Parts: sequence; structure tokens; C-alpha cells
Amino acid sequence: MNHTDLEVNRQQYLTFLLRDECFGISIDTVREIIEYGQLTTVPLMPDFVKGVINLRGDIVPVIDLSIRLGRNALELKNRTCIIILEIPFEGQRVVIGAAVDSVNEVLEIGKEQVEPPPSFGARLKAQFIQGVVNVEQSFVVLLHGDKVLSIEELASLIENVKPEKGRGENV
Amino acid sequence: MMDMAQAEQIFIEEAQDLLQVMETCLLDIEGGDATPADHIAAIFRAAHTIKGSAGLFGFNTVVGFTHSVESVLDKVRDNKLQMDAVLVGLLLDCQQHMAQMIAALSDPGQVVNAAQGTFLLEQLGTYLQAPKDPTPAPVTVPPAAADAWRIDVAYGLDVFRDGMDPVSQLSYLSTIGTLEEVGLQYQFPADFDPESCYLHLQLQLKTSAGKQKIEDVFEFIQESSQVQIQPPLTVVEQLEHTPLQPEKLGQLLVDAGAVTPRELEQVLELQKQQTHSSVGELLVQQGAVPTAVVEAAVNRQAHQEHKRASDFQVLKVEARKLDHLIKLIGEMVTAGSANEVLISQTNNEQLQEAFSSITHLIEQIRDGALSLRMVQIGESFSRLKRIVRDVSRELGKDVELDVVGAETELDKSMVEKLSDPLMHIVRNALDHGIEPVDIRTYRGKPAQGRLKLAAYHEAGAVVIEIQDDGAGLDASRIRAKAEEKGLISSEQALSQEDIYRLIFEPGFSTAAQVTNLSGRGVGMDVVKRNIEELRGQILIDSELGKGTRFRIRLPLTLAIIDGFEVTVGDTHLVLPVNMIQECLEFEHAELVEDRNYLNLRGDVLPFVRLRQLFQLPQPPASRENIVVVQYGRSRAGLVVDTLNGELQAVIKPLAPIFRSTHGISGSTILGSGDVGFILDIPQLIEYACSTESAR
Repeated sequence: MNHTDLEVNRQQYLTFLLRDECFGISIDTVREIIEYGQLTTVPLMPDFVKGVINLRGDIVPVIDLSIRLGRNALELKNRTCIIILEIPFEGQRVVIGAAVDSVNEVLEIGKEQVEPPPSFGARLKAQFIQGVVNVEQSFVVLLHGDKVLSIEELASLIENVKPEKGRGENV
Repeated sequence: MMDMAQAEQIFIEEAQDLLQVMETCLLDIEGGDATPADHIAAIFRAAHTIKGSAGLFGFNTVVGFTHSVESVLDKVRDNKLQMDAVLVGLLLDCQQHMAQMIAALSDPGQVVNAAQGTFLLEQLGTYLQAPKDPTPAPVTVPPAAADAWRIDVAYGLDVFRDGMDPVSQLSYLSTIGTLEEVGLQYQFPADFDPESCYLHLQLQLKTSAGKQKIEDVFEFIQESSQVQIQPPLTVVEQLEHTPLQPEKLGQLLVDAGAVTPRELEQVLELQKQQTHSSVGELLVQQGAVPTAVVEAAVNRQAHQEHKRASDFQVLKVEARKLDHLIKLIGEMVTAGSANEVLISQTNNEQLQEAFSSITHLIEQIRDGALSLRMVQIGESFSRLKRIVRDVSRELGKDVELDVVGAETELDKSMVEKLSDPLMHIVRNALDHGIEPVDIRTYRGKPAQGRLKLAAYHEAGAVVIEIQDDGAGLDASRIRAKAEEKGLISSEQALSQEDIYRLIFEPGFSTAAQVTNLSGRGVGMDVVKRNIEELRGQILIDSELGKGTRFRIRLPLTLAIIDGFEVTVGDTHLVLPVNMIQECLEFEHAELVEDRNYLNLRGDVLPFVRLRQLFQLPQPPASRENIVVVQYGRSRAGLVVDTLNGELQAVIKPLAPIFRSTHGISGSTILGSGDVGFILDIPQLIEYACSTESAR
């Protein structure tokens, strides 16, 4: 009995850093973590699309999570990596990569530890936040993976970016 | 145990295919493209199978109706009834009614017109009763011997000396069947030897045992005696039930149990000497089978040939399996090109040569696998034939349909998505395009309208044309209508073609009179949307009073294309190779200042700098190349850095977040492991035009 209770009430989160901020995401959606690199830029895409990678024969888009969360673009360092996630979309699971500064650890967090998102101050859209948890005197913001990387929303963001027209400079 | 619902689904699909066969055949007969004799067997079989399968599921209304249809067809097949135009028309109506009933099984929304059904049954009834036979067809009483084996044994002189006993053979035979008759013939020579056997028996045996078993009885006297075993005439029935495989006559007879393998072998051996004789003739000559059986087998064989042709149409493979196969072949192609890159670096000529034969095979396997998904467009066209027939009748117009290029192949998934748009265009052409007979005569046109459906390949695309010789599009009327509907303003300057394109706007309809076929203002916008979903384009040509032509251009799509790889900066791009006309070095000197076109052997060639268009950050390379592409009737140049050569590109659709891109239709993994983007040339040029005009 105890064991089931444990499973129901505790969830595992992968924590990662974007600059100095620590975020967590449920490992249910995480497929793997890979080194940053071998990106192919997709022409005419907004900044938050870093490009695509060849993940063992599958072509997977990679998003700059920092820009997506309204912060500055990532600065590439040697610990920069890509979290490969599976996001549900139209009855399927779409594979997408999120570039982050570094990944920390997998934390097991009990439901009772999760506090509701603050009404403001997180500099994030409220619907992205699942909750906040205090780990060793610092706050970890737990994200809703399928909202932050909502395929529908990303697609319409890309659709609405009008590539700047009339680039004057001639070759 | 198969799930009942699943089995039902299979039945419905099969029935729809069969109805399709029926329709095509009937239309061929009606159109004079075939005689009833050519197709009656196929039509009958279709109806018969539907009835049989429907019976298994207890769809009694289908069974009942189809039974009447089948009975009429049966009479036609037996030459008791002439298949005239009226009957063909009736059968087509019946076919439609059956299609409704079948559709209603899976779609509760489908309405079955019961009154129509009753009416059709009455009509069919008149054919069935006409030369009313007071008695059912006389059952031919088979002669007593028809179901008995005839065995003729001329015992050799040495049979007794060899220790054989004819009596025990007879008693054994009576254990495997009933000996109906034992005829005895004997002739004693002058030098009668009591140890010799002079027996000649003629037996009639009724048995369910096969010929082999009977032959085995006489196995030990085969050498010394002459044994003929003739199968009963009922073996003909057996022939009807032999499994359907392309077989030789001899094999067919063996399968039916009329001939034993030994006899066949003997005859084949004999045939080597008497090459002019057929196996059938020799078997009769040898007394192995009666002539009637051979004839039946020959008929059966002919029937099989026929059957095989139609089996070909209904070979069914789950799309999922096919997709999986094609995905794997895609992986193989990618892995193959990765290997090719590595092998070319080894400078090992033998290895390179060995690998090139693998590459060749991979290409063939790829083409073969892709062709599995390809179907001829003719099937869609024949569906349109029906629509043309029905609609022109309903409208009282006389329209001749001309089909060209029905054998053009297209991806199956496309064919399915095309059928609605094609239907809309054809209906529109018949309704609004082709004028009523009196107007046509008044305008000096032939009374019979012409509608042409054509399909052909053009530079990596499939083009489907729907052309009528009707009234044509009236640009001023379209314009007036569009202004009235507020789609455009009266000041807006529009080219003729732009005006034509207004008919694709939602809610646009110029038909003064709304018929129940078209003119409801839905349709053309849906047509355009459907075509665009297939990454296709639709173009209109029209001349007032002469006619209208719709041209639908579709990519061959498919999972794998022959591509040509170029790079711009770090970006790898793949162009469909069949759209490329030539490649040349880009000479800056030849350029007119600030103009994006150049002089290509006297012709103006507009070009696009891909670096600029795609806003790639890297500085231009010192040497650039230009790829001349042809799409439809236009040509354009694409300025790139390096030309990397041909490759087989496995198209990987772009991730769903990239649903709107400009000029990129997919991605692929190159031999080096890099990701390349596949260009959609028409879309790319369109995008280039839009950015240019936005300047």
C-alpha cells in the first residue's frame, strides 16, 4: 500500500539551468539528453528555432528554451545540451528538442512539496508553470512541458513571423 | 478468430471494389468500348460474390436485391437474354442502388431509396418472367457411367507367373468403392498356356477415391499389363474447384485427380517425341482421360487466365505494411549513401565497384517499392465517366467524354484525395461549361459537347487536365459578381488570370440559376483547398465561347526522390533532379546592375539568390553557380554556392511545427549525416515573387 501511495504522490523531475534560473520538467515527457551540436539551421525561422538535428535518422527540431521562456538567447558553453522530449500532438507524440544551459539531476518530489505558482514575479506565463518547489534553499520552477513546447503554439508562432521583406543590401 | 466488425469492413471494401468493376464493365459496354460477351462473366461474378458474402453476414436486403440482378445476368450469360442499351441502363441503376445499400451498412447517414429499389426489382422481374419457362430447366440426367470410373485392364500374359491375382485386385477395389459393372473379355489363342493370363476386364467403379489410389491397385502389373483408368465425367466439377493458380493443363488434371503424376510424366516423355501433339491430345490418346475432361480442363485454364487478370486488381495489402516497407527502404537508401561516402574515401576500387552494384540494386528496390503505392489514375477517371453519364442525362445534354492517359500513375493516397475535387470540376464543366444543345447549335458548335480528361507527367509532376468546349469563363461577369460580393473593389486592377482565380474564392458563384448539381457556391474553393493540401496547384485557361481548361499540377510526392544537392553557405539544399535543366557558372560580369535576370543564350532568365532569399548569414562565396530549373512552362535560375551532384533523397516530412515554410517541402538526411532541405521550386519562386513585389 505504502509503495503505491509513494508512486501516486511522488513524481520525478529533471532539473536544468537557464542562466542562473533552475527549472524542472516531469521526466514522463523526457526521452533523452544529448550534447549540443550538429545543428542545421532552417532558413527563415524565428530566433527561438535553433535548427534541426539528425537524431539517429529522425530529423528533430530544436528550440532555444531560454528565448521561448522570454529570456535572452542561450550562450553556447561546453555544458549546453539538448533535452529531447515527446510532446503529444493530434493523437501522436512529436519529438522535439529543447536547448538548455545544463542539466542538473533527477529529483523525486512529493506532491505536498509543490507550491502553487506565484501570481507574479516568475517572469513567465502562468500557464507554463506547474508549481514551485524549494530544494536546498533555492527555488525550482516546475514547467508544464506540453504547454511550454505546445506544437500548435510553436507552429502558429512560426507562421506569424513575417520574414522581413526588402532586405536592401545587395550581394 | 477475426473480429466480426473487421470482417464486415473487409466485406464492404471488397463489395465496393466489385461494384466498381461492375460499373466500369457496364460503362464500357454502354460506350461501345466492349461487347457484353467480353464483360458479362466479370459482371456476373461481381454480383455473385457480393450476394454470397452478403449472405454470410446476413445482410438480407442486399442478398435479395442482388439475387434478382444476378438472375438477370445469368440469363445474359447463358445467351437467353440480349444485353441491350435499356438493360445496361437498368443494370447501372441497380449497381448504384447496390452501392447505396453497401454504403448504408457502414454509414448510417447514407439513405437508401427503398422506392427506387422496389422499382428496380419490378424492372428486373420483367426480364426474368418474359419467356416464362413453365418448368425449371430440365436437369440432365447423367448417364449411369457419368459418375463412375472406367477401368480397362488388359492383363499381360505373365501376370499369374509374377504372382499377381486379378481377383484380389477386384476385391480390393470393392473396398474403396462400389463396382458397378465388371465386363469380362477373353480370347484364348491356339497355343493356350494354362499359366498365362488372357484376362481383359472392363470395370465401372463408383468411388470417392482419387485416381492415384486406383492406380496403386494395379501398381505391380503396370509393367506387364495395359491399364487405362478414365475418370468419371464428374471430374469436370472437380476441375472447377481446383485452386486458382497459373497452371499447366497437365498439372490442372493431376490436381483434379483425373490424371496421376505417373501418367502425366509418361505423356510428357511421349511429347518429346511427338512434339506436334498437345499434352491433352496425348492423354486422350493414351486413354488416361476422356476427351470431355480435357476440354473442361482447357476451358478451366482459359478461365484462370481471365481470373488472374481480375485477381490482379484486388490484391490487397494493408497500407500500414507498405508504409513500413517504404520507411525501411528509405533507411536503407540513407545508410547506402553513408556507406558510399565512406567507401569513396578508401580508394579501394574493388570495394567501390562491389558497392556500386549494391547501389544499383537499392535503386531498383526503391523504385519497385514506391511503385507499389502507385495506382493508375484510370480508376478515378472511370468514376468520373459515371458522373458524366448521369449528370449529362439529368441535364439533357449530350456530352462525349474523352479520356487520355488513364494509365498515368499517381500515389494512391493522392488519388483518393483527388476524387472529390475532380468530381466538382467535372460537374461544373457539365453544368455551367457545356451549353444546352439549342444554344450550341445556335452558336454553330457541334450539338454534342466534349469533355476531355487527360493525365500526363511533366517535369517531376503529374498534370491532370479537365477541358470542355463549352461557354468559357466570362471575365467581366466574374468581375462584376466579385465586386457585388465585395471580394474585390472596382478600382482593383486584375489580370485575366487573376479574375479567373476569383472563382476559387469561398462563396463565389456566378450561375444565375442554382441547380441541384452545382451553383451553390461551395465547391470551387474546396477544390482549390484540396489541391493545395496535396501541395498541388490549379490553373485555369479559358476562352469565352470556346471552352475552359483546368490544369491540376501535383508533385509526384512520394517518399524518395532523385535529387540534386547544392549548398549555400552551410545549408544543404536538394532539388528534384527532373526539374533541373542545366547548371552553369554564375558570371557577375554579365549582370545588368541591380536586375535579377540574365541573358541565357539570348533568352531572359530571371534568377533568385537563395542566400538572400533565405537570409543566410554567411558572406557570399567567391564562386557561385546557377541552377536553371523548369517548372511548368516557366524557367528560373537559382544562385547557389556549390553543386554537389545527384543523390537519392528520402523525404522526411518536416516536423509539425514547421507547417508553414517558404519553398521547403521536406528534409532529408544526406550521406554525410547532415540534414538537407528539399526545395519546392514552384512555391519557392512564388515566395521570391512576393518578397520582390513587397519591396
